[in-house]
Amino acid sequence: MALLEVDNLSIGYQTRNGTFQAVDGVSFSLESGRSLGFVGESGCGKTTLGLALMGLLPPNGRIRQGSIRFEGEELVGLPEDRMRTIRWRKIAMVFQAAMNALNPVHRVADQVAEAIFTHEPALSREEVNTRVEGLFQLVGVPKDRMRDYPHQYSGGMKQRAVIAMALACRPRLIIADEPTTALDVIVQDQILEETKNLQQQFGISIIFISHDISIVADVCHDIGIMYAGQIVEYGAREEVFETPVHPYTRALLASYPTLNGTISRLKPIPGETPNLISPPPGCRFCDRCPGAGKTCVTARPSWVEISPRHKALCHSCS
Amino acid sequence: MEPRRFIFRRLIQIFVIFFVILTVLFLLFRLAPGDPISRMIDPDMTTEDAERLREQLGLDEPLWVQYVYYVRNFFTGEFGTSFHYGQPVVKIIWDRLPNTVLLFTSSIILSAFVGVFLGKIASWHKGGKIDSVLTIGALVTHTVFLPWLALILIWVFAYKLAWFPITGMVSEEVWLDPEAGIVAKALDVFHHMALPLCTLFLIHFGAYLLIMRSSMLETLKEDYILTARAKGLEERVIRNRHAAPNAALPVVTSIGLSLAFSINGGALTETVFTWPGIGRELVFSVSHNDYPLAQASFLLIAIVVLLSNLVVDVLYAYLDPRIRY
Amino acid sequence: MERDGHKNKTRSPQLERFLEGWSIFVQNPLGKIGLTLLVCFGLMAACSFIPPLLDPMYDPMTGVDPLITRSVGPSSAHWLGTDFMGRDILSQLLAGARVAFMVGVSAAVMSILLGCAIGMFAGYMGRVVDTLLMRTADMIMVMPTLLVVLILSSLFGQLNIWTIVLIIALFRWPGVSRVIRAQTLSLKQRPFIEAAKVAGASHMRIIFMHIMPNVLPLAFLYMTFRVTSAIIIEAALAFLGFGDPGTVSWGMMLQWVWKTGHMFRAPYWLLPPGLCISLITLSFYMLGRAMDEVLDPRLRKEAEAE
Repeated sequence: MALLEVDNLSIGYQTRNGTFQAVDGVSFSLESGRSLGFVGESGCGKTTLGLALMGLLPPNGRIRQGSIRFEGEELVGLPEDRMRTIRWRKIAMVFQAAMNALNPVHRVADQVAEAIFTHEPALSREEVNTRVEGLFQLVGVPKDRMRDYPHQYSGGMKQRAVIAMALACRPRLIIADEPTTALDVIVQDQILEETKNLQQQFGISIIFISHDISIVADVCHDIGIMYAGQIVEYGAREEVFETPVHPYTRALLASYPTLNGTISRLKPIPGETPNLISPPPGCRFCDRCPGAGKTCVTARPSWVEISPRHKALCHSCS
Repeated sequence: MEPRRFIFRRLIQIFVIFFVILTVLFLLFRLAPGDPISRMIDPDMTTEDAERLREQLGLDEPLWVQYVYYVRNFFTGEFGTSFHYGQPVVKIIWDRLPNTVLLFTSSIILSAFVGVFLGKIASWHKGGKIDSVLTIGALVTHTVFLPWLALILIWVFAYKLAWFPITGMVSEEVWLDPEAGIVAKALDVFHHMALPLCTLFLIHFGAYLLIMRSSMLETLKEDYILTARAKGLEERVIRNRHAAPNAALPVVTSIGLSLAFSINGGALTETVFTWPGIGRELVFSVSHNDYPLAQASFLLIAIVVLLSNLVVDVLYAYLDPRIRY
Repeated sequence: MERDGHKNKTRSPQLERFLEGWSIFVQNPLGKIGLTLLVCFGLMAACSFIPPLLDPMYDPMTGVDPLITRSVGPSSAHWLGTDFMGRDILSQLLAGARVAFMVGVSAAVMSILLGCAIGMFAGYMGRVVDTLLMRTADMIMVMPTLLVVLILSSLFGQLNIWTIVLIIALFRWPGVSRVIRAQTLSLKQRPFIEAAKVAGASHMRIIFMHIMPNVLPLAFLYMTFRVTSAIIIEAALAFLGFGDPGTVSWGMMLQWVWKTGHMFRAPYWLLPPGLCISLITLSFYMLGRAMDEVLDPRLRKEAEAE
């Protein structure tokens, strides 16, 4: 049984002008110990998806249909106090540290310890302290900086602390939302390297959310490309990168410098994402797609299996 | 910045500001229309006493020498003699100072705590009935005219219901009774303090409530609140431990900014309740042309405001680690 | 705002913005209540001229009912009763509304213009001028205005109402000047100021022609809070017996109730003036908060400290 199974999940935000379809019919599954990356431009629904897995949608957000099964338990509609015991204990989250993810008035070590105290109240103060020390050592923050406040940390240290916090209760799954954005490239590399090591060491599953396809390529076993609330291409990393089929994935790959340094021109993708309050009836990418035909505009595309580990949502890739 | 250096710098600033106030007051008292000497020397004094005082103040010397004398007299605690009481001014104001500090600090602390607490509750129930009641209540009590509120409280609770004494700070039968212990005396003071404290409390807590409420609503949108939620903390813990300490910081700032306003209110309250404090002494001395007393009371009030500002700054630095280190 | 997409061509963008703000403003319950109350007080002030015309005994200051020599309760001749000398309380109350508006609005306008001028000057000049002006502002900010006016009135004798207004304005500018200074600092960096400099405009011309039109609307956001504090200070001063003896204000009426010992005996006299001061303060305050919410919620904190 897969650790996490998401089936046909749709999430809408209530706005003044109608319901904003942030996530529309998303399905995927994640095995224990594997990592999955979601890539897409901002507003494609990837962050909403992450929040929904934690049951942390903002007040105007609602799961309209679909299911999220974690270790066989249905998370959609789960009572809040049961959900609270799953958060962090089972599913933890790594936020972007540059976004103020640490509370400025509490010491960093206390914020990490708080997570442990909350979920394992039976532990003594000493046991918790020992574990916190171990975590800081693991992510490479010097022991004498533990008692500092967040503003005394550099960006990289904050990010490490946030990762230490996510590991505090030894969760089964970690959702990392843009964990390296706003860090400089060297620190970014170190953090990614450490994340990979930690994942292998503890067998934790990771869902990695990023707008940067090169980062996801570096870390994840599987990749889902998201566009306008839908997954448009999904598959094993190697296959998606080597034989991208969806025009959006191709455009996305072309708009980033390649990893191996071959000369290629950066191509911006022309056009804008569709209005998700009243989405178009056909393919959502058809306005910007160079090869769009008549059916693309009128009919919803369906999944096309390219290989057992690679599929795409497109009319013209079959 | 290191806390000690921070306080030291603020102390120097305060000293400079105070010196400017001291100087402006000197110039006002010497240069205002009318005879400056009559403002310094009690018309009812004997000629010899008057002569001695003239010498002490250097009134026959040029202005700048008078200024030197004036500053010296200030730092040696020579404020002259009150026209009305016939006692040294310094003795009178030292007498009054603890009374003012007692009423002022207890009212600020009480209203800040209650304001923060109720503001938190209002923000929990944003848009609900409790929120509307608290917000409107805060707006109304914050804008009610203080002396009028004081008079109404006296009329209802001291006159009609006779729960509290109408004026003063102590009752003679308790304080002159040799049997009365310290507890009885303290209770007597609290009994007198109830209404003035209530007046100041009602005027102040509303502003703190409104600031806390909006600051709390802002804070709840912060990313670290999302982190706290993701950590699986209970809503109560999130609000009390993660949101409230951050949200209370603007309240502390506003206490500092509104100190001058609070002192005005304190003086009015003391006057209506005849609470023997410095504010009332200032009002009284101004209406009785008791210039030495008026000048000294004003300076003392300025010192109280400046030092309270320092206390607020230190408190802020204590609450916000970003300033402390 | 993206909603401005299809704009009526005959309307200027300023008018459009104003209308949009206005529609948000009137939807705001605070704004609605505040405005309604203010209209009532405006009517009171307008009506204050009527009673003295009906009969000289209704003159708020000098009119005395020849049949009454002490404070009596409401009657058909005196709807709200009379004060200790037999003067009509309703006429005094109406006159008080006029004085409150006069004091509040003129002190507020003066302090805002002063604060604006000082803020622009400090921000534009920078360096020593800036430091000096802003330190002065800090200093004035910590002074309790009421007590300062008290000391001044002890030195200069009875102050008349305009002197009081002037002093209040002189002590109420620092809050405005800080905001205007910050705004000026950011405006100074804009290209159009640079362009004006290159074109050889004088400092004064730049300040008044280019900076002032951009900061003045912001300054008037502070207006309502200034009005509130000016009315309160004048009322408190009059209550303590240092008001203008030639003007009937609500604070003065309370002072009469209090000093003549009628506070326990004449609720018809004690209640109206205090209620009026409180309500007019409340309505200006509500108006200010509503305006804040419409224009710029970030400005709320500083103004509330008043």
